[in-house]
Amino acid sequence: MKEFQPIAARPAPIKTVGFTAWLRDNLFSSIPNSVVTLSVIALLAYYLPLIFDWAFWSANFTGTTEDACVKEGACWVFINAWSYQFFYGTYPVEEVWRINLTLVLLVMVIAASFTLPKSIRLKASITSWLLLPIVGIAILDGRWLGLEVVSTDLWGGFTLNVFMAAASIIVAFPFSFLWALGRRSEMPFIRSVSVIFIEFFRGVPVLSLFFMGSVMLPLFFAEGTNVDKLIRVWLVLIFFMSGYMAEVFRGGFQAVPSGQYEAADSIGLSYWQKILLIILPQVIKVSMPNILATFVMLFKNTTFLLIIGIPEVVQTLQTALSNSYWLGGHALEGYLFVFLVFWGSCFSMSVLARRIERQMNTDKRD
Amino acid sequence: MFKQKTIEEVKSASRKSSSGTTSNAFYNNPRIRGFFYQIALVAGLLYFFGTIIGNTLANMEATGIKTGFDFLGAAAGYDVLMSLISFESTDTYGRIFVVGFLNTLLVSAIGIFFATLLGFIFGVAHFSHNWLIRKIALVYVEIFRNVPLLLQVFFWYFAVLSSLPGARQSLSLGEAVFLNVRGLYLPKLIGGDLSSLVWIALGAAVAGIFVLRRWAKKRQELTGQQFPVLKTSIAMVILFPLIVAALTGFPFTVEYPALKGFNYFGGITVIPELMSLAIALSVYTGAFIAEAVRAGVQSIPHGQTEAARSIGLRENKIMSLIIVPQAMRVIVPLLNSEYQSLVKNSTLAAAVGYPDLFNVFVGTALNQTGQAIETIFMTIIVYFVVNMVISFLMNRFNSAVALVSR
Repeated sequence: MKEFQPIAARPAPIKTVGFTAWLRDNLFSSIPNSVVTLSVIALLAYYLPLIFDWAFWSANFTGTTEDACVKEGACWVFINAWSYQFFYGTYPVEEVWRINLTLVLLVMVIAASFTLPKSIRLKASITSWLLLPIVGIAILDGRWLGLEVVSTDLWGGFTLNVFMAAASIIVAFPFSFLWALGRRSEMPFIRSVSVIFIEFFRGVPVLSLFFMGSVMLPLFFAEGTNVDKLIRVWLVLIFFMSGYMAEVFRGGFQAVPSGQYEAADSIGLSYWQKILLIILPQVIKVSMPNILATFVMLFKNTTFLLIIGIPEVVQTLQTALSNSYWLGGHALEGYLFVFLVFWGSCFSMSVLARRIERQMNTDKRD
Repeated sequence: MFKQKTIEEVKSASRKSSSGTTSNAFYNNPRIRGFFYQIALVAGLLYFFGTIIGNTLANMEATGIKTGFDFLGAAAGYDVLMSLISFESTDTYGRIFVVGFLNTLLVSAIGIFFATLLGFIFGVAHFSHNWLIRKIALVYVEIFRNVPLLLQVFFWYFAVLSSLPGARQSLSLGEAVFLNVRGLYLPKLIGGDLSSLVWIALGAAVAGIFVLRRWAKKRQELTGQQFPVLKTSIAMVILFPLIVAALTGFPFTVEYPALKGFNYFGGITVIPELMSLAIALSVYTGAFIAEAVRAGVQSIPHGQTEAARSIGLRENKIMSLIIVPQAMRVIVPLLNSEYQSLVKNSTLAAAVGYPDLFNVFVGTALNQTGQAIETIFMTIIVYFVVNMVISFLMNRFNSAVALVSR
């Protein structure tokens, strides 16, 4: 048996606070670490100036045509010239206030559901959310309001991505809630129908659902009925979304302690009173981060609509790139722009989701 | 004696007192109610599907669309960009289905491999001691997770790969690997007469690793002595086939891609469609896997690391022996769903024209035959089956890494 030999005590650290200590701890803690740090800095020092030069210093900002791009760098004139189409598609210019109005309504409803006084918040916000898609369609289409009719072929651009995603998640909300309840139900048939529905729409590639919407769905309607392509795709997105959201809600239902159900039972509430007044508000609260994450996924997936020929933003970009007046090869600028637009919206939503999650965590700690 | 009341009786009694009506009626019995609801659901579903099927049949008759699977035996009449088995345009739709299926499997396998690699590298990099590395990992995850996959596919295809130089100015690596606007050209190993022996040796080495691992684990449990499994395994995999190859006199010839006229011929060609799709899938899913790995490692209490340090384990041993095995319990279920969504997302091949199952079958075959229902459902079933296989394998793997509670 060897005798226990303690290793010698390490010398006290020279310095543990301050800038140099931070540098040593985080960038130069060992020789391999220093090598990595220096090579990363060298790479950045080499490439960042090139990128900045391309994007800003020698980029072209002013002008309206291809000829304005005389300098070496990026041709942001291209983005500038097509910005209307990127955001509004081919929607008529004099009617574009309708798109802006719908966007404002969307923002107002979102703001209202966070800021209204608590006594009316739930009822008011749920009603306005559910009314929003109908009002939005009425404004954008215009035939019910006596405005000039803008056919759905003309809708497009980034606002179409936003509207498709928003309209789908709003309508999917109540459905997914029902599917989640069905999956938790004790009635065997209702449960199995819900499981099949949810798993089908979660298990199938979303692109094949879009193809179903564009090719198969017309066969399902009675002869002679002609349902607009955008509405068919909307239906598909609603189904797709309610499958995913049902799973989110199921997680939420499981997170609500069973004492809440029993307490509601014990004060004699009926099933729907219990679910709607006691359980649902808690479920929505716990699932909020996941709902946002699912919405981000749906929002990103709206770009897939391009494949069935719906002029959302990427499709618009491709049209712009193949325009005969703009054949200077602006693919990099164009994709970078759309990249940044999507990144900005999705990243801010995931930051929001993380913040809500953190707020809820502190709630539980008390 | 008090009579024990059932919950149902208590409930109905409380309802009676509040509403004042008799509630022992049959329609207040939850079982009967449930039965009624389910009957209503069945009837509704039957009506719904009945209408759909009726409408579909009527519509198909009106437009003269054929039904059934006869079209699978008919000649397809179009060529595909890339196929792993021989294919000509005179071959049948059935064969095109197989071609597309193999292409889907190929891009999914490549994607899963590289996504896992990227995901683990960047996931672990999140815990690096180097501030710059940590920030790079963060930037990678936040950029690529928050941009639509389709945009990324297009970005690689239109903005990166199509700005590569032409065939004559190809980027090359040691005159063996070439990269140009038409694709990536790799050297190809062509086996001679005795080459199968080398492959058998490789297989034997892989099988040997499993035996070795089991033996080493048993030895460690019995005696506490560790065996350098990883080094021995790597040596086995390299040396076994090499020795056999040397004994049989290297029965391989290497075919290098060579510039003939305007393009490279010979070797293995990776078309840019496949490259852009595979890069985008790997980078996109890799960002999600990096998040899964991060979540997994963070789920391990810090006490585990401290305990490992206090018994004198070195930093790399702490990761491989203490943290990762525990984190795998969290990571594997997440990997499962990421792999499944990668396979589903590979349908984006349609955007750049890579001939995967979805593109050649739901895209082209549907257009030519008009048989929407058959083609879409055949394709969907394939994706279901592939995902079920992935799920099965990952669940097996999961039960291997799951915490064994004694």
